[in-house]
Amino acid sequence: MRKRLVIISFFVIIFIAFITIWNFSYREGLEEAYIPVVDETHTGNFIPSESGVFKRFDGETIDYSKMPIDENHQRTLKDYYKNRAYLGAPPSIPHSVAKERSLGGNTCVQCHQSGGFVEKFNAYAPITPHPEMINCRQCHVTKNTNNTFKGFAFRKKLSPKVGQGANNALLGSPPMIPHKLQMRENCISCHAGPSAPKEIRVSHPERVNCRQCHLPKINEQPQIDTSTFKRQFNNSNED
Amino acid sequence: MLSAMTAAASMFPGILFASEQEKGIPKGANLDWKKGPCRFCGVGCGILVGTENGKAVAVKGDPNCSVNKGLLCVKGYHQTMCIQSKDRLTHALVKKNGKYVQTPISEALDIVANKMKETIASHGKDAVAMYTSGQSTIPEGYVASKLMKGAIGTNNLDCNARLCMASAVAGFLTTFGADEPMGCYEDIDHADYFITWGNNMAEMHPVLFSRMLEQKSRRGAKIIDFATRTTRSSTASNRSILFEPQTDLAVANAICHEIVKNGWVNKSFVEKHCNFSKGLTNMGYGLEDNYKFKDKPEKIDFKAYKEFLKDYTPEKVSKYSKVSVKDIKYLASIYGDPNKKVVSYWCMGMNQHTRGTWMNNLVYNIHLLTGKISQPGNGPFSLTGQPSACGTAREVGTFTHKLPKGVVMNEKHRKLAAKIWKVPYERIPAKPTYHATEMFRAVDRGEIKFIWTQATNPLVSLPKTSRYRPAMEKESCFVVVSDVFPTPTSDVADVILPAAWHIEKSGLYGNSERRTQHWNQMVEAPGEATADAWMFIEVAKRMGYGDLFPYSEENHVEEIYNEYRQFHEGAKHGMAPLEVLKKESGAIWPYVDGKSTQWRFNAKYDPACSNGEDFHFYGKPDGKAVIWQRPFEEAPEKPDSEYPFWLNTGRVIEHWHTGSMTRRIPVLHQAVPNAYVEFHPDDAKKLGIRNGERIKITSRRGACTLPASINERGLPTKGQVFVPFFDENMLINDVTLDAFCPISKEPDYKKCAVKVEKA
Repeated sequence: MRKRLVIISFFVIIFIAFITIWNFSYREGLEEAYIPVVDETHTGNFIPSESGVFKRFDGETIDYSKMPIDENHQRTLKDYYKNRAYLGAPPSIPHSVAKERSLGGNTCVQCHQSGGFVEKFNAYAPITPHPEMINCRQCHVTKNTNNTFKGFAFRKKLSPKVGQGANNALLGSPPMIPHKLQMRENCISCHAGPSAPKEIRVSHPERVNCRQCHLPKINEQPQIDTSTFKRQFNNSNED
Repeated sequence: MLSAMTAAASMFPGILFASEQEKGIPKGANLDWKKGPCRFCGVGCGILVGTENGKAVAVKGDPNCSVNKGLLCVKGYHQTMCIQSKDRLTHALVKKNGKYVQTPISEALDIVANKMKETIASHGKDAVAMYTSGQSTIPEGYVASKLMKGAIGTNNLDCNARLCMASAVAGFLTTFGADEPMGCYEDIDHADYFITWGNNMAEMHPVLFSRMLEQKSRRGAKIIDFATRTTRSSTASNRSILFEPQTDLAVANAICHEIVKNGWVNKSFVEKHCNFSKGLTNMGYGLEDNYKFKDKPEKIDFKAYKEFLKDYTPEKVSKYSKVSVKDIKYLASIYGDPNKKVVSYWCMGMNQHTRGTWMNNLVYNIHLLTGKISQPGNGPFSLTGQPSACGTAREVGTFTHKLPKGVVMNEKHRKLAAKIWKVPYERIPAKPTYHATEMFRAVDRGEIKFIWTQATNPLVSLPKTSRYRPAMEKESCFVVVSDVFPTPTSDVADVILPAAWHIEKSGLYGNSERRTQHWNQMVEAPGEATADAWMFIEVAKRMGYGDLFPYSEENHVEEIYNEYRQFHEGAKHGMAPLEVLKKESGAIWPYVDGKSTQWRFNAKYDPACSNGEDFHFYGKPDGKAVIWQRPFEEAPEKPDSEYPFWLNTGRVIEHWHTGSMTRRIPVLHQAVPNAYVEFHPDDAKKLGIRNGERIKITSRRGACTLPASINERGLPTKGQVFVPFFDENMLINDVTLDAFCPISKEPDYKKCAVKVEKA
């Protein structure tokens, strides 16, 4: 009888221990599911809009400096401007598209994120400076007719001149940027690689920090009155 | 050496760059190219200036200069354009009855000399002061020092390098006993990791940053940006770690804590080459006039240092630095890995700090504990902001306490100076007088009755200009300003002297890597604009010190440099002879037996090492560097309910310092025509501020109104705003605080409390 009691109480103790341990580990398990809410004082969610310049230099994408130039299939600036309604306008799509219902994220970007030669068009796919924006068809449309609805008086503004002396402040100094940068922060997507128009292809794509030497010529900010300090003398040089 | 350089060039073809520029120059152009250093920043890139018919028409990077190997930044490429500005100062202007009258320069120099003599006669030597620049050439700094300390006999000479490099100097002297970096730029080609401490190199030292990026893409070297603001440097680096202003002190100690805790200390290096010391704490912030501080160093042992580090566990530090424990451990693991070569870079983030000297000490601690110092690719590297902050301000010593060799407090140093200058040694006072901030306070108090500023623009660059502008306007002080362009400082001058610009005179600069660079005059200065050194000499002659300044007008640069070289003779600081500097694109001192010393304190490279060991920190009497116990202390002014934001100030790539030159270069002005105030997007949203909206920034000292910039060039951390200081029309230094590091006396422009409201 006494022996039996000992055995029973042994199992009871085992059982209680099991319940306690199980309970504890169950609670521990719950702890794991708890996600701490941290006050994100240093949010990493924002990156300065100007940082686009470095976008393609993360070492994982394209090494432009190693790319050969394919003379037979290079674009010219004329080609580049052909499917743009005006300077800085989003280019229209000069080819047919596979899926009319798609936004473009899965289709356009396949070729236009990293470029490459496309047999069908006998050309290199131009690279988009903003592959993160995947609703391509929001701005880029196909061209399904050559007619216009009515007569048309709009005239394209002449494109900025390029080449020797066109955008340089001094002889041989690095040329300034003659266009706006909005959505085109990533310089080398248009200025490097086999799809870059030959007139504006840069000789030194490995030089990552483009805006170390090239500055926007077009000032995007409104001018601010800067007349706090009026000089108290008329300098002899000043007209 | 040469073969190594050619090998480097063939490995990195992108680096030879100037030929690229040749293509942009018309075939018929018959340009004459002359070499020199760049006028902007302390990197010291070699430039070639193309002149045609006596005018500078082109600039290219010097492919033979090992600093930049043919590459420049946008400021460098366009630098010569500023001299054609229409408001160039071409003649002396003297204020008569409230109006500036054009005056022949010899007459203006008479006025300056007479005024100086009169002031000394009636108020004593210490009533006259001179405030020069890290942009002064070596000969200019030298004659300024000789005139003030040797001829007149006052230590009232300080310079704007006090505002940028003083903490670096104090850091070097306290840790190593010898100023300036031990390494050189070639470290970039060897390092595995670059850790930048509060330093936006992509904009401030762009050519060096490009060299780092090159190593990143070719060798997989890693860049880690440790800062209080997300910048171009952060986005181009492998990792960006943000911290709360002022807590860099704690994070550096936490890194040391981890290094010690994990056994990453290089024991034999520390035993052989390091001492441990502590200094005074709770030093104050120099906010009150006539503030004085002297540190009392006290030796401690490794055990006491370890005990001190216990307060800096990553867990504790993480709480107030807002750097994650993981990031602190990550940083420590990089420094701690004996197989990784690490270079630390910093500039104003660490120097313009009320505990700037400490912060410099702490980064040296990390490198000393791990023995990662004085070797190719391993070392702490303090960058400079001005082209001759090292060459002139630090080496010639245009500070109140300095002499061309050593300090005024040291009798031996005074005797050497007196001997070379040929003056009685009693004439050089043994007590330093005013450092930069205190100098302008003394102007305000009426103690200084005459001040002469040269190549600097203090009324834009001093902290708390809201006090010092009215001070300089006071009748009690006669103000002479030598400059190339009119500035807010020349606006308060009684006499304005027209200075020759950089390439309109010959001169020498010294860059961050101890490189001395010479250039010859390339074009004529307009009107009566004169080289600063020559104006000093002319005034000295008029004051009756002609026998001490026996230099000729044509050849004074050469004569002065040869005289100055005598100060530094020997293996520890020997300067290259002029013939070498004329031929080559600079040479690094110590220049011994025809060779530059690239890594000081390392017996393999440095002939001055004499203790028979691998390393010899010969700046200290016992040949050992000091690991300093420096705690974290709060900033003097912190955001509170009334002034809830930190204000940080700095620069942009397009403009150099107060913009008096770069704003006169059209391409640069057009790119960044005015200053702005950067917000974190969350703060902007909370306050309902839109991009471009005019915002009034107010502190306890003054206010400034600027357009808002949200998520553009840079991104301050939450609770912080950032303003570049180049804009004389939006004077953010009216708002900043004139607290300084008690040891170095360098002001902190990076931290004060402000409130913001829509204007």
